[in-house]
Amino acid sequence: MQCSDLGPEMLEYLAGTLPDDRLAEIRAHLAQCQACRDDVDATAELWNELGAAPTPRPESARMRARFDAALQGYIDGQAESRVVSMTTSRRPSLRWQPWMQLSGAAALLVIGVGLGRFVQPAVPQTNPDIALLREELRDTRQMVTLSLLQQQSASERLKGVNTSSQLERPGTEVVSALLDTLRHDPNVNVRLASVDALRRFNAREGVRNGVVEALPQQESPLVQIAMVDFILEAAGPDARSVLQRLAEDMMLNQAVRARAERGLKQVGL
Amino acid sequence: MTDEWLMRAVREGDLTRMGVLFERHHRPLFDFLYRMTGDRGAAEDLVQDVFVRMLRYRSTYRDDGRFETWMFRIARNVRADHFRKHGAAVYVPDDDMDWATTEPGPAHLLERARDMTRLKRALQSLREDRRELIVMVRYQGMTHEQVGAILGADANTVKVRFHRALKELRDAFSRVPEGE
Repeated sequence: MQCSDLGPEMLEYLAGTLPDDRLAEIRAHLAQCQACRDDVDATAELWNELGAAPTPRPESARMRARFDAALQGYIDGQAESRVVSMTTSRRPSLRWQPWMQLSGAAALLVIGVGLGRFVQPAVPQTNPDIALLREELRDTRQMVTLSLLQQQSASERLKGVNTSSQLERPGTEVVSALLDTLRHDPNVNVRLASVDALRRFNAREGVRNGVVEALPQQESPLVQIAMVDFILEAAGPDARSVLQRLAEDMMLNQAVRARAERGLKQVGL
Repeated sequence: MTDEWLMRAVREGDLTRMGVLFERHHRPLFDFLYRMTGDRGAAEDLVQDVFVRMLRYRSTYRDDGRFETWMFRIARNVRADHFRKHGAAVYVPDDDMDWATTEPGPAHLLERARDMTRLKRALQSLREDRRELIVMVRYQGMTHEQVGAILGADANTVKVRFHRALKELRDAFSRVPEGE
């Protein structure tokens, strides 16, 4: 095996998705090639850094209101053009005069401004009905998240993990489901996303312990490195003992041990 | 109901079904367009454009393709038109800068946040097609096969191009000064 063969397969190697024979070839090559080992470490680190970037949140309610207005306008326009085409087949054609076009444009502008104001975020209200509706909406979103996490398709489960980060106050069922996904999901990207999603709960001791306990069971070094970062971020200097243990664990991938060692230096050991 | 079923209904004239597709897909589309443009307002506008184009060109939707593949092809065209009009994005979004410089906490967290800003800067400095590959694979969770279907290339070609893009990102990252 040549060094140049490793590049395109590096992510699959890190994700643990290569067939066993190919995996063995790459491991044998890495055992004797320091440059490739460094390359693997650097790629793993970069991959996890990319994943740690915050997910931008769209203003969904405003966007949906805008789209609904556009969709309704499109549907009305379609219906109108059908009526016009029916009537023009019976009557002499009505030609648009410049003054009519100007008036039409002005009317559309007024409607547009009115619509813009209409779709502004609502002023906070204390109406109990609205509070109840919000609560129901929150429960529905939570149910959707939990249901997506159970889907067969990895992209649906990935959506579930991403949806969880958009819940304002996710319940313990969602947090437990995320931990469960991290432990058992067969897809590396879904597990990686669940580490990112769990970051918002890293102040909870149960979540921190759950991640620490799940680390040795992980097969993918990419996920393990993301978990090391999580532990470092969550526990800070208190992570020393866990990082020390990981750095010395010879069963772990070399890139994971290197990340734990770097973490130890960061927390000042 | 699958996306494909809903889109077929839209194509046959039930336009209201597009609302369900919007609800399901506006977030990943926003994520893609925001990371490509670096501009929140522009990304929101472009998401609207993508859905309006899907309505307008609904007759071009074919039964044999995945809805997401078709949608991302349209999103790429919308983004390309945007870049033609306004130029490609080359800046780091403001909120990331805030995150890097004002986050309280231990020194290692601050250092990490700074690294993140450098990484964002490096990502934005990549050629558009390279950045797109990284965004699709890393942030949209697409496989090489799925990216290939969108770009019209086979999975092996995508794999090689993606490796090259990642390598360029590493080089760009090492060139961004640490104080940035």
